[in-house]
Amino acid sequence: MSSTVTQRKPLLSRVPADFVRAVLKGHSGLGLAFAAAIYLVCLTGSIAVFAHEFQRWELAGTPRLETLSPNAVQRALAGAIERVGGGVEHAYITMPSPELPQALVAVEKDHVTRTFVADANGVIVASGDTPWTEFITRLHINLHLPQSWGVFIVGLTGVALLSSLISGILAHPRIFRDAFHVRMGGSRRLQEADLHNRLGVWAMPFHVIVSLTGALLGLTTIIVGVLGIALFQGDVGKVYALFIPQTPKDDPRPAPLLDLRPFFAQVEARSGGARIDMVMLEHPSEMGGAALFYTEKDDGRLHNSDSYAFNRAGSLYHTYKADDAVTGQKVLNSLGKLHFGWFGGGIVKILYGLLGLALTYLAAGGVLIWLARRRDKRNPAPGFERLWAATIWGQPVAIGLAALTVVLAGAAASKMVLVTIWGIATLVSLALAIRTTPDMIARALKCVAGLALILTALAHPLLRPSGDPVAWAVDATLLVCGGLLLRLAKRQQSSSAYEDAVLT
Amino acid sequence: MEAILALLLVASGAFAAWLLRRAWRAKPGAGAGDKFAGWAIIVASLVWPAFVMGPTLGPFVALAAISTGALGLVSSGVTFRKAKAARAGAGRDSLAPEPVERPTTAWRTTLRWLLAGPIGMIAAMAIGIAYSVWVPGEPQTRLVIGGLTVPVVWGSAMAWTLADSRILRATAVLVGTAIFGFGISILRGFA
Repeated sequence: MSSTVTQRKPLLSRVPADFVRAVLKGHSGLGLAFAAAIYLVCLTGSIAVFAHEFQRWELAGTPRLETLSPNAVQRALAGAIERVGGGVEHAYITMPSPELPQALVAVEKDHVTRTFVADANGVIVASGDTPWTEFITRLHINLHLPQSWGVFIVGLTGVALLSSLISGILAHPRIFRDAFHVRMGGSRRLQEADLHNRLGVWAMPFHVIVSLTGALLGLTTIIVGVLGIALFQGDVGKVYALFIPQTPKDDPRPAPLLDLRPFFAQVEARSGGARIDMVMLEHPSEMGGAALFYTEKDDGRLHNSDSYAFNRAGSLYHTYKADDAVTGQKVLNSLGKLHFGWFGGGIVKILYGLLGLALTYLAAGGVLIWLARRRDKRNPAPGFERLWAATIWGQPVAIGLAALTVVLAGAAASKMVLVTIWGIATLVSLALAIRTTPDMIARALKCVAGLALILTALAHPLLRPSGDPVAWAVDATLLVCGGLLLRLAKRQQSSSAYEDAVLT
Repeated sequence: MEAILALLLVASGAFAAWLLRRAWRAKPGAGAGDKFAGWAIIVASLVWPAFVMGPTLGPFVALAAISTGALGLVSSGVTFRKAKAARAGAGRDSLAPEPVERPTTAWRTTLRWLLAGPIGMIAAMAIGIAYSVWVPGEPQTRLVIGGLTVPVVWGSAMAWTLADSRILRATAVLVGTAIFGFGISILRGFA
């Protein structure tokens, strides 16, 4: 009889209790070790999904175009190079697209990149620098650490997240039995565990996709490095050569600016109606100059980008067609889009933003469960409670103040200024953990973050008036987020007062 | 058009989750029809977008949309309780499984994190590179699939070594995997 009952048990319920407890130990240790990094990477990633929208928000008031003629591109390139006084090593021309309808020309000289906006005639009309977008995307990609270290740490964080997802499933045999429980307001530990587990399970495909793609993007340099050492006598260039076009032979003799117009004609003839998305130039004023064109076709594929590279003489020396790509190239070219939700239009970005916030809460909630468990066992960790409250609520403050700065200071707010403000705000938030209670820290930081976002949303349309509906949508979203944070702070105040009265 | 299809998928996810919740709330032995219908809608919602939105785009839009719809449905079933005061006296026992308490030493802790970190990474790379070297196919495909294997294997190794109390076994397996993987890769070389 009992064996019959045992046979009917769900698969996960038959997992031995000792195994579950051992995996839970690993899950808990890993989560605690990486919680802050996972939280920061997930929060900034959820915002970075909307990088193009934030670019438009920062470029509010500049000309919005549907197309740019080859003549105008040539004039814009010459104008941008003239603005920096010549001697440009690389240039990047972003053509207007439905997502980002500005024509941008970025020129790199002495390892400093400056971006300009061109109008429909190719006349440079404004700076195209978008420091806040650069600040938030770089915070996500490399935490503003030196490039190779920062990217590796973020990749490692992705591996830790993937590992936590694996151990999280194995450590929760009640995952199906509790599949729909969301019990709020009772025991703190049960509440946090319900939120943690429901958000973890129901959004599992998204969590796996972003952690796996993020880990691979972050670890690419080290994987290629090891591959080069093990199999190519240390020559990593041979690995990269399988995926990216060769750079043209260096010839530093001065030459007139590359004429892109004939290349445009060639690309249009070859690309079968695809939209030219970007043009990258190598040494545009040297004899060794070259131009790489990327085209994109909206055809329901993730790997929808072709590329064509020309040397100064006009010879096509590289062609990549998505139609002819092998599986590996298709997968590689889809990773970035899959990671950031840059496919399927605005609705997919909104879904990615919401699911990204769920993943962010997953990281924050894991530590809250551990803290509640310690309280339940009468072994509280008040120092950690304060520190964690300061960590999770300090970031909206730091990021919100950076956004407010870029709106108020305009062109004076470089990326470094924003990083400094973010760093100071983070340190001040953490310093609050020295004395005050977690409740007070959370309440105060929610208030400051809410006010910063509301001020940003109100100041932006006043200081940078624009007819761009995307800029208005960003302002409206910031206003709603600010209002929500203030409401959360108010609710916390009333619930704290209730708990003080009832529980003490 | 894409927005409408994605919203339809969100609704499908919510409806499928609603059917599954009905099955979950039903008395034991009942609800099989709802359970089947719920899973069938999820599977169908992953397949039809491939035909309408594109073979690669559609399923990935569906994964994000179905998850969001299901989460929306789950959050609609939230139940509110009164805050409980912690009991005086001994710590409260929980019905939920607790992490195992195991005696440890500084060197075991250090070795455990070395296994989860750099040694696990090297073993994972050995497997990824061995895949790239030995499995037939286009070089780019072998390298990318091998590369994707690395975070999966490293993450699994991390989960395993941080859980397993037999730390020397984990050491032997990971070091052995690294030596064997790199060994057979270097012997053959990349072609």
